[in-house]
Amino acid sequence: MKRLLTMTLACAVGLAMLSFLGCSSEQKTEKAEKAEKAVVAAPAGDTVTVGIILPLSGGQAKFGEVEKKSFDMALDEINTAGGINGKKLVFMYEDDTGRPDVGRSAAEKLINKDKVVMLGGGYSSSVTFAVAGVAQQNRLPFLINTGSADKITEQGWEYIFRLNPPASEYPKAVESFLTEVVKPKSAAILFENSNFGTSSSKEFNETCQRLGIEVVLLEGYEHGGVDFKPLLVKVKEKNPDIVYMVSYLMDASLLMKQSKELQIMPKAFIGGGAGFTLPEFIENTGSAGNAVFSATLWYQTLPYPGAKEYYDKFVKLYDGPTEYHGAEAYAAAFVIADTLKRAKSFSAEDIRQALAETDMTTVFGPVKFKAYDTKTNQNDVATYMVQWIDGNLELVWPETHASKKYMYPIDWAAMWGK
Amino acid sequence: MDVFLQTLVSGVLIGGIYALIGIGMTLIMGVMHIINLAHGQLMMVAMYITFVLYQYLGLDPYVSLFIAMPALFLLGAVIQKLFLNPLLKVDSILPENQVLMTVGIGMVLTEIVRIIFGSDYKSVTTSYSGSVMYLGDIAFNTPMVVAFGIALALTAGLFYFLLRTDLGKSVRATAQNKEAARLMGVNAERITVLTFGIGAGLVAAAGTLLLPIFYLFPDIGGHFTLKAFVITILGGLGSTVGAIFGGVVLGIAESFGATYLSMDLKDVVGMVIFLLVLIFLPGGLKRLTKI
Repeated sequence: MKRLLTMTLACAVGLAMLSFLGCSSEQKTEKAEKAEKAVVAAPAGDTVTVGIILPLSGGQAKFGEVEKKSFDMALDEINTAGGINGKKLVFMYEDDTGRPDVGRSAAEKLINKDKVVMLGGGYSSSVTFAVAGVAQQNRLPFLINTGSADKITEQGWEYIFRLNPPASEYPKAVESFLTEVVKPKSAAILFENSNFGTSSSKEFNETCQRLGIEVVLLEGYEHGGVDFKPLLVKVKEKNPDIVYMVSYLMDASLLMKQSKELQIMPKAFIGGGAGFTLPEFIENTGSAGNAVFSATLWYQTLPYPGAKEYYDKFVKLYDGPTEYHGAEAYAAAFVIADTLKRAKSFSAEDIRQALAETDMTTVFGPVKFKAYDTKTNQNDVATYMVQWIDGNLELVWPETHASKKYMYPIDWAAMWGK
Repeated sequence: MDVFLQTLVSGVLIGGIYALIGIGMTLIMGVMHIINLAHGQLMMVAMYITFVLYQYLGLDPYVSLFIAMPALFLLGAVIQKLFLNPLLKVDSILPENQVLMTVGIGMVLTEIVRIIFGSDYKSVTTSYSGSVMYLGDIAFNTPMVVAFGIALALTAGLFYFLLRTDLGKSVRATAQNKEAARLMGVNAERITVLTFGIGAGLVAAAGTLLLPIFYLFPDIGGHFTLKAFVITILGGLGSTVGAIFGGVVLGIAESFGATYLSMDLKDVVGMVIFLLVLIFLPGGLKRLTKI
């Protein structure tokens, strides 16, 4: 009896392994299937299904969660307002766990098995790039709302559209703040060695050179470290005027906490979006996170129609604040709905056509897909700068939109105290 | 000079915690001759226990040590008794099916925690989380120093147990030769259960000590399983003294790699040392210590 059990177990393990190996051959047959499927059928019944790929587990789950909540909120509003020309809109979520390979198979599943009419979501750049590749290959439109590595919209992929700006443009507002207020002479740039981190830091490095700021340290790090002191001790030694960091949430918190430990006191700490704007950042860092600046793409007091309403509703519904990632997702849901309403049919080609003609205003600002520089189907978005002031995230730059006057110069010794 | 010293301090401090992580795996390796690939996941469970105690009962992580360690000891013992020992009696086509079992246990633990707590990052921010002591210009993070001290104390305790007590001698006897130990009247099966429990308890301590300075999420285990594995190999499979050296060497190597090469290459430095040891010093660091 026991022998039988082991045999079954062994078989099960064997099968599991085979199915892993089998993936590649499956892909080939999928291609054949796809040829037949090219004339996408209208979705069955009275629903229209859109696939949304987000990190709902794993290290980036926090971001995925904010975005999913925002998608759900928007979906509810869209369907209450009559859905897609009478049809009910459905978002089918797939978890990419923050890993490109998982994202890839999630996209393949949504496209081939669930036959969604288009794709949305896309959080981390690495995953988004993989998913975009699959979408383009299968000729299905994909509206990206967060994945921001520049190269995603530089491939000439006509089915890939991006709502958020490319990573290299995140520090645009930071640039004017630097030239007008801080006027630094030297900078240290630290970044997570992922697609997003590399892309942003490269651009910021070029910005520094253009502005005549000497970059005294440009260094990547591998996500998930316990101890950043070996890196920070170099920053301290070089004593730069500003420290620019591109990190996801927990690394961002640790970097700030350990900077405080080492008493690194530049004129300003500036985060390149992502981890530095989440409410958890200040919860984790406490006083070490105060007065830290960050690039951002959105703030609730911006004069975009519905921005404040979205923020208030989110806070009321989910009992917690939202930030630019949520706004991106919320806006993306409305762009998807608007596109599907205008599309002549739900064929991939008609949806792509409609998406390309998008010209609307969302809580995230105006949305219009353009080709510029080497990019295609890229929405052009203004960027802003926020600062943590007394535990609240305040919009401080450009000053015309500011919710509060920026805190500068910063007396670290007094603030960190003790 | 400051840079050098600060790097060394960081490396040694983190090395102490690494040693505590590695020593449990080494002990299990020495007695059962299996690599426990659920080691980091056990640590993750301990971290969640500490987190819950802190969040809902306001218990300080250092007090939680007295709850997390026994709890993990029990969990480890149960795993060995109910899941690993029965496999010994079964014929199988794969000789290492106990190791496969630990992989499975690791996955199950991760997913159970994910179901209960979700994938969110959690952290425990105590009043002393950010506190620092300065010696000249060198910063010593207080929780790290405390963790290092407790790690040393636990290791000393373990050595006392292994070298001076009857039970500890039985553990060593079982590690040296299971059959002979059995003939001398040692209940080898009970010893394996005990050993797994101790291994799990030690890694629980490491997790709990790390919590005030680090953060946790269900997938954190894999990262530390890998670290423990490297340390175990570095130290020479099954050598507890070697594991301590292995842990400190790994901590210092990572730290110096990050400062003088690039933080990007931190893990690469660890792996390169790992490969060098495998190639040139197959017995691990214990070859150098002769213990």
